[in-house]
Amino acid sequence: MIWQQLQSLAGSYPLALRGLGMTVLLSLISLVLGTLLGFALGILRTGGNRLISGLIGAWVDLIRGTPFLVQIFLIFFILPEFGIELDAFTAGIIALTNLAACFICEIVVAGIRSVPTGQVEAALASGLSRWQRMRQVVLPQAMRIVLPPLVGQYVLLIKDSSVVSAIGLTDLTRVGWLVVQRVPNGLLVFFLVGAGYFIVCYPLIMLARRLEQRMGAAHGEVQL
Amino acid sequence: MTKTGLAKTGMIDFRGVNKWFGSLNVLKDITLSVEPREVVVVCGPSGSGKSTLIRCVNGLEAIKNGDLVVDGQRLGDPATNMTQLRTEIGFVFQSFNLYPHKTALENVTLAPIHVRKIPRAEAEKAGRELLAKVGLADKVNAYPAQLSGGQQQRVAIARCLGMRPKIMLFDEPTSALDPEMISEVLDVMVAVAEEGMTMMVVTHEMGFARKVAQRVVFMDAGAIVESGTPDEFFSHPKTDRSRAFLSKILRH
Repeated sequence: MIWQQLQSLAGSYPLALRGLGMTVLLSLISLVLGTLLGFALGILRTGGNRLISGLIGAWVDLIRGTPFLVQIFLIFFILPEFGIELDAFTAGIIALTNLAACFICEIVVAGIRSVPTGQVEAALASGLSRWQRMRQVVLPQAMRIVLPPLVGQYVLLIKDSSVVSAIGLTDLTRVGWLVVQRVPNGLLVFFLVGAGYFIVCYPLIMLARRLEQRMGAAHGEVQL
Repeated sequence: MTKTGLAKTGMIDFRGVNKWFGSLNVLKDITLSVEPREVVVVCGPSGSGKSTLIRCVNGLEAIKNGDLVVDGQRLGDPATNMTQLRTEIGFVFQSFNLYPHKTALENVTLAPIHVRKIPRAEAEKAGRELLAKVGLADKVNAYPAQLSGGQQQRVAIARCLGMRPKIMLFDEPTSALDPEMISEVLDVMVAVAEEGMTMMVVTHEMGFARKVAQRVVFMDAGAIVESGTPDEFFSHPKTDRSRAFLSKILRH
């Protein structure tokens, strides 16, 4: 019986590849967009403007404090009520990008705040403009702090992308649901689904670990 | 060349300047004029407001009231372009504040390239010359972490000079240094002073004050208590507070 199931699973191979492709595509697009937006939000959040900073802070708290599934439903089912029709893919990209941007914003803010004030004062004293101070002095130093948790966050976001299956996108998780209807062995099917995510995430986990080690070495910390 | 008479108003003019940190009056009714090419040493006990005084000159601290005019521009005036004014004022920090991710040369050329818009090749040529001038020709490509404190501070001075400023401010430039490195930094500062730079120097290095300062200003509790030539101040301090201060720093 298990042999039959495996044969049937092998037949689902193209579908599984499509699902994996969808998961990778969704993650890639929303991580790139989310990173750009997250850095922009983080820079604005640490800027001088109280109103902008406060608004971003409130939005980030709101997104971090609500389930991602609920956010996706709001975008996919509620927005059409206001005349904004979105296909599932666009809705998924928007929701994931927004989520990524909010988490990355917080990481970037922590990185920027870790740069000693003396650095900003030195840049200020030599007449660098606000953007030049950020670009030339603050961000390069903040990146050392930002990079390891940023890559770690990517792993979490790739896994969070599984939630988009709820609005009908055929990603890896949804492929699992489809296949399990034909091959009634949930353990086997979702073991393989899990393995698919792990294959995508594991290189990033390794990368995050190496970045952390490199940063520790750069700071001259004792290696345990 | 005469020190005075180059301009009617000073290069740096404090007129009745006050500043508070919360309820603490850190600058009390400061009136002080620094002439072009003049070197003024500011000294006083810790917490007397001397660092705050020079940090006001390039707007790292904002003044509460009174007038502060630097290079003919009134600070806090909407017409004053602070970023522009800062390019004319070099500031040397106690803790150097070199950019750790940039080499000595990159530290020196960053502002000339990005603020003064000097072509990179030209800025690097000038930067190498400046680093040679402060005795660091062989450290052009070193990162700050690879340099001693004295070397870092000399790079910091070269970084300021790279902007060809009209004024240089020094905030306890040798206080964070090991004793054997103090003189190499002071020598560079003497050379800068002898080229006619307008300087305000917060320091307790009395040898430096005697050698190059035209004036010593003694501050205590946010106010200027005494001001005079180095000879007057060191040999004949006029107030009890300055005598007490001098007896402490000259004892060793």
